[in-house]
Amino acid sequence: MGLAARHLEANGIPTVIMGCAKDIVEHCGVPRFMWSDFPLGNSAGRPFDIESQAQTLALALRLLETAPAARTTVSSPLRWTADAAWKHRFLDVGKLSPEEIAERRKEFDVVKAVAKAKREGA
Amino acid sequence: MSVPRIQFASEDDVPIRYMDRTREYYQTLGFTPYRWAHFTDAPFTPLSTPLARARVALITTAAPFQPEAGDQGPRAPYNASAKFYQVYSAPVDSKPDLRISHVGYDRANTVPEDVNAYVPLTRLQDAAAAGRIGSLAPRFHGAPTNRSHRVTMETDAPELLRRCREDGADAVVLVPS
Repeated sequence: MGLAARHLEANGIPTVIMGCAKDIVEHCGVPRFMWSDFPLGNSAGRPFDIESQAQTLALALRLLETAPAARTTVSSPLRWTADAAWKHRFLDVGKLSPEEIAERRKEFDVVKAVAKAKREGA
Repeated sequence: MSVPRIQFASEDDVPIRYMDRTREYYQTLGFTPYRWAHFTDAPFTPLSTPLARARVALITTAAPFQPEAGDQGPRAPYNASAKFYQVYSAPVDSKPDLRISHVGYDRANTVPEDVNAYVPLTRLQDAAAAGRIGSLAPRFHGAPTNRSHRVTMETDAPELLRRCREDGADAVVLVPS
């Protein structure tokens, strides 16, 4: 998405990215980034919470209007939970047994083969 | 004399380092690490049309539900057969059924049962109705989540630009899932 935003912007169309993966988006280097400290998959606000979604979009639109320069990030003040426990659960390899690792490796090989077949058939 | 205790946030309450976490995860599984796109500069185009008169386009990485492509429900495991490899477009008023089983969202912490949390189409329509934006472009666009940076830069991004121009977009909101 970062690459698409860069391309649009370089060709004269202002952009804003709404997302959760702060390090990945900022590593790419994008014009404007509206960041929510929420689990990946909630770039546009909290599920079933219209107020949260409206507030996130409102900030993104303000950012579109007011960013003074490229690589401007605005952070949503919204919190997923009061504490940070959820942040430890994403792709937590520490808790996997060798059997689980072997199993996931096998699953990922299957997923890769499926993606490859689909890509080449596309 | 005791100094008043300052209530700082917890040390671990920081942005998740997704690149480190993902790298470690796939290395543990025995795969070579992915290299993320990286630039130290970025292009910049100021918004020249007031937002209240601007036509805004939406780009998503979500995929339209494909009946033949296996489990795409909110608790589906990563489903590569639901991926798409070409830019698609659909009318914004078509009430699209958009899913994210084909991407690596945070399955440990969230269940994508509300499309509005990952595709702000309805919220953008609200913004247009309220006069906050001039209008929503007639179509939204789907960006493939291709692992090849070359395909993204040389094929998909120019195609997205072409379609946004065709729709007369003054600004674009991009929402990865």
